[in-house]
Amino acid sequence: MSEHIRFTRSRREFLTDAFCGMGSLAFTQMLFEEKLRAASTTNPHANPLAPRPPHFAAKAKSVIFLFMAGGPSHLETFDPKPLLNKLDGQTRPKEFGEVKYQFVTNNARILGTKRTFQKHGKNGIEVSDLLPHTAKVIDDLAIIRSCHGDMVVHSAAQYQLFSGRIIPGFPSMGSWAVYGLGSESNSLPAYIVSPDPDGALEGGQPMYMHGFLPAVYQPTMLRAGKKPILNLDLPPGVQLDKRRNTVELIRKLNEANLKATVEAEDDEFRARMNSYDLAFRMQTEAPEVFDIAKESQETLDLYGVGKDATDDYGRRCLLARRLVEKGVRFVTVVHGGGPGNLQWDAHEDIEENHIRMAAQADQPCAALIQDLKRRGLLDSTLVVWGGEFGRSPEAQGGKGRDHHNYGFTMWMAGGGIKGGQVVGATDDIGLKAVEKPYHFRDIHTTILNQLGLNQDALSFLHQGRKERLTEIQGSVIKEIV
Amino acid sequence: MRRTVCSVAAIALAAAFGFAATNISEEKYTATERRHWSFQPRTQPAIPTFAALRDKAWAKNPIDAFILDRLKKEGLPSAPLASKQTLIRRVYYDLTGLPPTPAEVAAFVADTRPNAYEQLVDKLLASPRYGERWGQHWLDVVRFAESDGFEYDTHRPDAWRYRDYVIKSFNDDKPYDQFLREQLAGDEMEPANHEAIIASGFNRLAALRKNAGNQEVASSRNEVLTEMTNIVGSALLGVTLGCARCHDHKFDPLRQKDYYRMQAFFAPVHENDFVTANEEERKQWEAKNKELDEQIKKLRGEMKGLKGEERGRMFQRIRDTEAQKPGPLPGLYGVRNDMEKRSPIHVLARGDYQNKGDSVGMRTLGVLLPDGTPELDPNTPKPRTVLANWITSPDHPLTARVMVNRLWAYHFGRGIVASPNDFGRMGARPKHRELLDWLANQFVDGGWKFKPLHKTIVMSSTYRQAATSPASAQGMAKDPDNELLWKFSRRRLTAEEVRDSMLTAAGRLNLKAGGPSIMVPVDEELTKLLYKPGQWQVAKDKTEHDRRSVYLIYKRNLRLPIMEAFDAPDMLLSCPRREQSTHAPQALELMNGPFANEIARTFAARLDAEAKTPDAQVTLAYRLTAGRAPSLQEKKLALDFLKANPLSEFALAVLNLNAFLYVD
Repeated sequence: MSEHIRFTRSRREFLTDAFCGMGSLAFTQMLFEEKLRAASTTNPHANPLAPRPPHFAAKAKSVIFLFMAGGPSHLETFDPKPLLNKLDGQTRPKEFGEVKYQFVTNNARILGTKRTFQKHGKNGIEVSDLLPHTAKVIDDLAIIRSCHGDMVVHSAAQYQLFSGRIIPGFPSMGSWAVYGLGSESNSLPAYIVSPDPDGALEGGQPMYMHGFLPAVYQPTMLRAGKKPILNLDLPPGVQLDKRRNTVELIRKLNEANLKATVEAEDDEFRARMNSYDLAFRMQTEAPEVFDIAKESQETLDLYGVGKDATDDYGRRCLLARRLVEKGVRFVTVVHGGGPGNLQWDAHEDIEENHIRMAAQADQPCAALIQDLKRRGLLDSTLVVWGGEFGRSPEAQGGKGRDHHNYGFTMWMAGGGIKGGQVVGATDDIGLKAVEKPYHFRDIHTTILNQLGLNQDALSFLHQGRKERLTEIQGSVIKEIV
Repeated sequence: MRRTVCSVAAIALAAAFGFAATNISEEKYTATERRHWSFQPRTQPAIPTFAALRDKAWAKNPIDAFILDRLKKEGLPSAPLASKQTLIRRVYYDLTGLPPTPAEVAAFVADTRPNAYEQLVDKLLASPRYGERWGQHWLDVVRFAESDGFEYDTHRPDAWRYRDYVIKSFNDDKPYDQFLREQLAGDEMEPANHEAIIASGFNRLAALRKNAGNQEVASSRNEVLTEMTNIVGSALLGVTLGCARCHDHKFDPLRQKDYYRMQAFFAPVHENDFVTANEEERKQWEAKNKELDEQIKKLRGEMKGLKGEERGRMFQRIRDTEAQKPGPLPGLYGVRNDMEKRSPIHVLARGDYQNKGDSVGMRTLGVLLPDGTPELDPNTPKPRTVLANWITSPDHPLTARVMVNRLWAYHFGRGIVASPNDFGRMGARPKHRELLDWLANQFVDGGWKFKPLHKTIVMSSTYRQAATSPASAQGMAKDPDNELLWKFSRRRLTAEEVRDSMLTAAGRLNLKAGGPSIMVPVDEELTKLLYKPGQWQVAKDKTEHDRRSVYLIYKRNLRLPIMEAFDAPDMLLSCPRREQSTHAPQALELMNGPFANEIARTFAARLDAEAKTPDAQVTLAYRLTAGRAPSLQEKKLALDFLKANPLSEFALAVLNLNAFLYVD
């Protein structure tokens, strides 16, 4: 594995990073552990991707984020609002207060839902008929009905969902997780994003990126088609055994060039040499992980692989399981991409859009939970489901719903999350989170918490500020952990 | 004599810039707050002297005297001087970002004149390549890019003129105070001067959020003003002013009011897209737009009958067609004041634009002013000129120190203050405060010119040390980060240097300077990651694909894989120093990437054409990449390899070597 030194960052700076300015004595023990951890990160022989101990006992080792891009409607999925149908066609009663949307103005009319809800699981949690498969695994899910964010437009909301900031340029959750914990795999990237082949999202590449963290913490973006990782395949006409000779030559020539009088001075040279070994290992071992043909027919069927609607997302969810199985730390599986209507962005027709989108994602998401569980992986894998916002109770253009960031639903499962429960609530028309509201920063804090990471201790000195994932202090969602 | 009492000079500053006696501020700053080292006036440090002849010989200039004095106190010996072969490669990359040719290395090694090195330095500082290299550093600091970022990531087709302005300014050795004044307030000072308007584009380099149906105009305006204010703190003053946006700074004496008072200088600033197109260009532009508009209209008609996924795909086609529309007419990307549309500036609780506190007016940072200095008259003409004059005042304690520290950091790999954008309490302390002040004094007294300072630095013995030392064991034990400069710090090539050097090795680098930015071919899977893939329009003329990296487009939502892998910044936030990470995707990029393999093929063809025997080919390959001949052992390994493997694989291997990727 590659070794790594940051010549540009001194040991002292690194230690300052680790001891963010929090000042609470309660953190003494944690700080002590952080010091040990930091010492391992600052050791010139340390590998920046070597597994590092968490700040405190972790429940989850890996995270899979099922990103429902474009903003799925809470009102059509997990948050039934009977009053909505009664108020259909009327303007919003004053008592619910004011909000600002992207397009819809305040004199818009309430739009009832055509979905029906039934109770599922041992606690009778209501799930809409759009998600029959998810309903079957409801006992594993903690449904958070009171999520909220600050931005009503896609790009800025996506940045906040991924990096805690409404502007691009800050590290995403996945980069932070790997920065904190390193990688458990020595032949696969630690942080992988599987974008939807239908196209990119409004936030673009920056939302997934490592921001100002060193490039070693960048995501590996999977690509559509047979070559999922950039540059993992040999160029046309080059054979692996021939290329092995070239790699060998690089190693020998580099060894011949080691010249410092003290070995430590050549650490970075050695680190680079080792990175070639890892690259070569990735080349030979990763393709096997990406080949889902070896999965049983039963498993393929479980995810809906081979069925028109579910084939793509099913394959990618199955791949996510295979990746965490091999020690990948953070996998984001994006559902929806390209123009809004190929995302959950149902401005024109909530029915048409959500029936189609749910038919693609419902079975694969549920299959992932089932599959992780039966393999004993669910306990160590935190699965998070959600979009950058929900959708407006009011109609847009008659049949659609606008963006809506004041109250919407996400769910979490596995990785120490207590399933089979609902947390928080929106008001009677699903406009605002009114009971136990949880902001994206609380979602982030909870994700870090399950990974055994403290939001303050996981920081990086950038331009004089100890930056962390949460801009404003978040809270762990205590009800579900 | 320089000022010794801060408040005296501060009062003088206040008077000089006409802060009116209204609206007295209530904030006070404690003596401790004012005492922080970087807020203190620069000193006139005494230059250390030495008795021993050996020391006198080593200390070629005051830089060496300060460094040597400290090394002696710490009991660390300096490293021997680097060989001429090593030195020429180092100084070439440092001053021009490109390697010397084998002929240039040979000539320099053979040149025994005592001033051979000085002549080389003068030549490089006069080379147009110098501005391309050092302009790049500035572009990092001001987070220059040519697209808006966010979802549309709309291109800024005229932003390249700012890049050319920066490069030209460095090449002309424009005084830094003038350089800053032009960027902060060029439009105010010379409204008819195109170059001044281009320079003022500095104020709108940030990413810009634009959304359909935006009902939060006030929020967007607030984001624009925030970016204009923050960059002045981090890039020019080296203080984390942005921290004071939401609350009083937790560590530095920057009050939240300071933040918004600084922001008030930008209250009237608006975009200025100054069209320069002639009649002919205007006609062509209109024709092209008309043609595409008709296509779009037709597609929209077809979309009417479509539903669901098909509708989505048609929408994508329309979007791709829209992306082909020519950008705005050729013009200048600058700013201007619009006093009518001046944004009212309030202190915003937690930085929330809806949570307005006290209304504030223009004033510079309180800790550098006497307590109670009033705000400027709100009707002060040319407000940014006032701000620029304050920042570039010769006595300003921060501006010159921050810039010479950047200069030092780019030459030596780390600053005298290791946090170039933060001279506050949480930033690093200066390792050599006297040296920093001496450099800053030289800079200001020499008319804020860069080139003389570069020359002093690269002529020093400190700079000319080898990257390894016989006393390494001692050095590594005592000062593993080489903060005291007991040797030269080896560094990895930057992303741009890697790419430019690969093109150079293959004999393909196109040195054409300036002009609109180039989009080079990239994997289709990468453009698919763009919200509007049609934005990526590859330059038709293939020789343009081999231009220097500084002339490739800086698109916020698409960086070339090789740039991304080698730590090129994302240009979303100011980048004070490049990370230097090492990881497997770099190896994959250089071994399997299409660019690396294409370069390896042309590099091999060049070796084949210019050298007859495998022996000569190996030597030439090393000279073109490592700047030296191979050792006997290296040559033997290479020749053994070539017996059974193609030359192109050898060429590829050489581009992956540490000897190529690092500068000693």
